[in-house]
Amino acid sequence: MGCAKDIVEHCGVPRFLFSDFPLGNSAGRPHDPDSQRLTLELALRLLETAPGPRTTMQSPLHWPADPRWKLDFSNIDQLSDEEIARRRQDFDKVKAVAKQRREEAAAG
Amino acid sequence: MNEQISGLGFADAHDCPVPYMDRLRSYYLALGYGNPYKWAHYADTPFTPLEKPLAEARIALVTTAAPYQPDQGDQGPGAPYNAGAKFYNVYSDRADGAPDLRISHLGYDRKYSTADDINSYFPLAQLKTLASEGRIKDVAPRFHGAPTNRSQAATIDKDCPDILDRIREDGADAAIIVAN
Repeated sequence: MGCAKDIVEHCGVPRFLFSDFPLGNSAGRPHDPDSQRLTLELALRLLETAPGPRTTMQSPLHWPADPRWKLDFSNIDQLSDEEIARRRQDFDKVKAVAKQRREEAAAG
Repeated sequence: MNEQISGLGFADAHDCPVPYMDRLRSYYLALGYGNPYKWAHYADTPFTPLEKPLAEARIALVTTAAPYQPDQGDQGPGAPYNAGAKFYNVYSDRADGAPDLRISHLGYDRKYSTADDINSYFPLAQLKTLASEGRIKDVAPRFHGAPTNRSQAATIDKDCPDILDRIREDGADAAIIVAN
């Protein structure tokens, strides 16, 4: 179950239930139990019925409101030079933290 | 939109799956990072048909979400990307509880995703409901956490075999991987 269609299909998986939602909602829309139930049910149906590898099914559900969210995610065309510089600083910081955590984990 | 076209009921041109690979490549190049990420890519993909009816199958759950760690800063809804909350070894926890899992260590959509309902990224409660209704036989006794540590070698050589071993130990017939 996932929301990044191109990435999962590029990798290749046996079965893929694709929800066309912003990243972070692979199991359904938040606070929407009906949507979550349908999403899992569709994943189970794929388990039962997929005829072969790389079977993708797209959930019929939509993200509420308009599809503008699709244009906004990590879209460089929408960022000012200042914002790009700020994000670079932020990313360098989290990379340093991740490196430290990784080394701590490796050291046991 | 052209009136003639809009009359046909077409969706907006940009209302299609987000091209994340292209988007992220441009994004990190513009931020000044060369050497674009090489995504996992296989020409051939394994496939094993389910060997029994779902109503007789034990289903395991695999997640990229992380257990909440009180000493690792803000992991709440909308928290900035928190690398400190990442984990680097596979973990397993009992499926009969109500674990507190978060996604602040992942690159989810912080503008539009609320990340305040665990059931939108970790369908354990829903899977238990379907088990109670007989849709599946039962939920495997443990669920498993897959590290997202940006080392493809570690994922493939260490984490994946580890997760598979655990799924088999629990006698599961199939697993649902929920990526976020």
